[in-house]
Amino acid sequence: MFLQKLFKDARYFQILFQTIFLSYGILFLHWQAAWWLYSTYFITSITTQLVFEYFLGKKTFAYNKRIAFSFPSVIISSFGLSLLLKTNHVEIAALAAFISIASKFIIKIKGKHIFNPSALGIVTAIFLTDTAWFSPGQWGSGTVILFGVCCLGFIVVTRVQKLDISLTFLGTFAGLLFIRQIIYLGWPIDFFVQSISTGSLLLFSFFMITDPKTIPDNKWARIVWCIAIAAVAFYLTTFKFINGAPIVVLILAQPLVPLLDWLFKARRFQWTTSPKYNTTKNDFLHIVHTRSIM
Amino acid sequence: MKHKLLIIGVAIIATPFIMSFCGFYVSKADGTLKNKTSQVILVRDGNKNVITMYNDFKGDTKDFAMVVPVPVVLKKEDIKVVDQSIFQKLNDYSAPRLVEYWDQNPCYGYREDDKMAPMANKSLSEVAVSGYGNVRKKDAVKIEAQYIVGEYDILILSAKESSGLKDWLNENGYKIPADAEEVLDPYIKSNLKFFVVKVNEKEKKKLNSNFLRPIQIKFNSPKFMLPIRLGMANADGDQDLIVYAFSRKGRIECTNYRNTNIVTDKNIPLFVQKNFGSFYGNLFTHQWNNENKAVAFLEYAWNVTPINQMKCDPCVGNPPTEQDLVQSGVWWLNGKDWTDYSDVDEDEMDNGSRNVHFTRLHFRYNRKSFAQDLMFQVTPNTENFQARYIITHPATGDLSCDAGKKYLQDLKARRKKELLQLTALTGTNINNWQDDATAKNDEETVTEAQYATLLPEVKNESDNEKTLPGSMILLSAVILGSAGFMRWKGFV
Repeated sequence: MFLQKLFKDARYFQILFQTIFLSYGILFLHWQAAWWLYSTYFITSITTQLVFEYFLGKKTFAYNKRIAFSFPSVIISSFGLSLLLKTNHVEIAALAAFISIASKFIIKIKGKHIFNPSALGIVTAIFLTDTAWFSPGQWGSGTVILFGVCCLGFIVVTRVQKLDISLTFLGTFAGLLFIRQIIYLGWPIDFFVQSISTGSLLLFSFFMITDPKTIPDNKWARIVWCIAIAAVAFYLTTFKFINGAPIVVLILAQPLVPLLDWLFKARRFQWTTSPKYNTTKNDFLHIVHTRSIM
Repeated sequence: MKHKLLIIGVAIIATPFIMSFCGFYVSKADGTLKNKTSQVILVRDGNKNVITMYNDFKGDTKDFAMVVPVPVVLKKEDIKVVDQSIFQKLNDYSAPRLVEYWDQNPCYGYREDDKMAPMANKSLSEVAVSGYGNVRKKDAVKIEAQYIVGEYDILILSAKESSGLKDWLNENGYKIPADAEEVLDPYIKSNLKFFVVKVNEKEKKKLNSNFLRPIQIKFNSPKFMLPIRLGMANADGDQDLIVYAFSRKGRIECTNYRNTNIVTDKNIPLFVQKNFGSFYGNLFTHQWNNENKAVAFLEYAWNVTPINQMKCDPCVGNPPTEQDLVQSGVWWLNGKDWTDYSDVDEDEMDNGSRNVHFTRLHFRYNRKSFAQDLMFQVTPNTENFQARYIITHPATGDLSCDAGKKYLQDLKARRKKELLQLTALTGTNINNWQDDATAKNDEETVTEAQYATLLPEVKNESDNEKTLPGSMILLSAVILGSAGFMRWKGFV
């Protein structure tokens, strides 16, 4: 049953991998496991979801069913925050988690939320409060590459999520870095490898930008949008020395998505890879469709 | 206040000294000069940077030369020399520390002499150097500026291509490491300038001193980094770099290498105090190997704002005074008394805060593990941290009362733990500490609780106890647990 879900619903695959990343960091990289921080993220996110779902959720299904379906998304958001956002203050952590989840209910156009929840939480906490900071995700090059290959392999084998957006982003971003660092500046290859093997880039390209609810529906619009994000992120990283540039750019680019959707009226994303889950007998899955994966 | 600085500059410190900057030095003396440990002070707020580089050049000052890539052409007022004692002060203050506690004799009740005192730490840093030649102009290289600052002749060069720069340096009597070119090229294309330093013998004589004072430069740049790649060109093996960083907001973190705290707050055997320097050396090497080398180790982080009273627990050296901080380049502390940096603040908004956060990072780099220069960010992390190791003196006197007997049992158990801790921290075999443990250093303690007596017992125990890969088991448990939880809750 679990395996079945794992192979069908990208969210379970994401939870599995994020659990591995966080445990690896705590156990092997001796992160100063800030349990209070992680628990604040998780508890606030879950509470916010419970409250907002109760008051603002679509009343199509029973409350407990809706909660059960949205639960994995909340967990993924909390993991995203735990892995990338650091702060000394419990209230800032709670604020970030609250903004992440609340934005899904409040900031939306035609039932589709605008911002990736954890990305928005991270960006607002860092730029508005100035008491939180972005963890660049230095887990060691070898480890990140291994994790990246595992993620990619898992996605390819299970087809659990679409790869177009991840590969477009990674390809453009890494390609531009390669041109700049190796071809133009002439640094040795390990310089470039170190640039692209950061945990934050891995999380961003496989777990954050891929959020199907916050990307353009039309395939070509999506590709162009993604290339633009990668290019701007490359520029900010290389010439403006901004840490976590991809996440900032993503937040700036997401308001364009409704516009792109309107210009290219494509079919709304359907949350399925298998015909089995496309059928109406599982109509509760439509709830899932309206929730973010992150 | 220039005169004040000069006066300080003449007052020479007698302590053994430390390092040079991580720029590479070029040498006429045919490569005999090597960088080993470098020390550098970084001050950063907004886009403003002040970098102070320490030279511990031992040899003929004619052979001294240093080349540092910098992002902009520096003006003369942006370069100055500072008193080198500032490095010793910062090192003494922030170095890993040994603290000692005294047990009470349970048979006597409590006395008021319970104390905790810092031990003088051994200097954990070694030596490094630089070398130089004479300078002439040539086409491929443009001399952007030329100054005499203190005892130094300073040139700021820009170049179009690396071979030109390399030729120029060679023709002007600099010995360039063979593989420096692979690094020079990317720097030139990144539009970096080269800050080239040699000693001006005339000025040097006026100073009547053998020491080369640290050079401090300041500039505006969004880039917050230290160029270490040039330094690798002529260093054999691993080089240590200690970064003392100051910011207004909080801790400094390395953004392109993993940050990790050095292991701290551990109880270690009493006999380590005789040899704390080598204990920490072993510990650092062991941690460095364990963490896969490409790591920024945090050794100290504290709010050292002049009004902040509690600056360490305990302090190894005196906390840096406001004057020390200003010398280090912390320009925002400049009151009316310290006006020599007032010009820095004109072009940017200043929030008036006088907070100073001190971060000490320790790198040990080599070409294989460090492909990139060090990039940093200022974080709002205000959490304090210090590398601190604890020794405990046993109670003295008659321990024949009941509580005393109990105490002895506890003491034995604690000391066994300390011995195991020692081997775990340093990655050494327990046998290596035989000599230290058996040396007559705790005669006061009853024989059965002496380290020498406990050593064989610990040896036996540690042989039997093969540490399980506990973390692996825990990891599996977490994954299985969460899967099980989700299944139990009916999510899957």
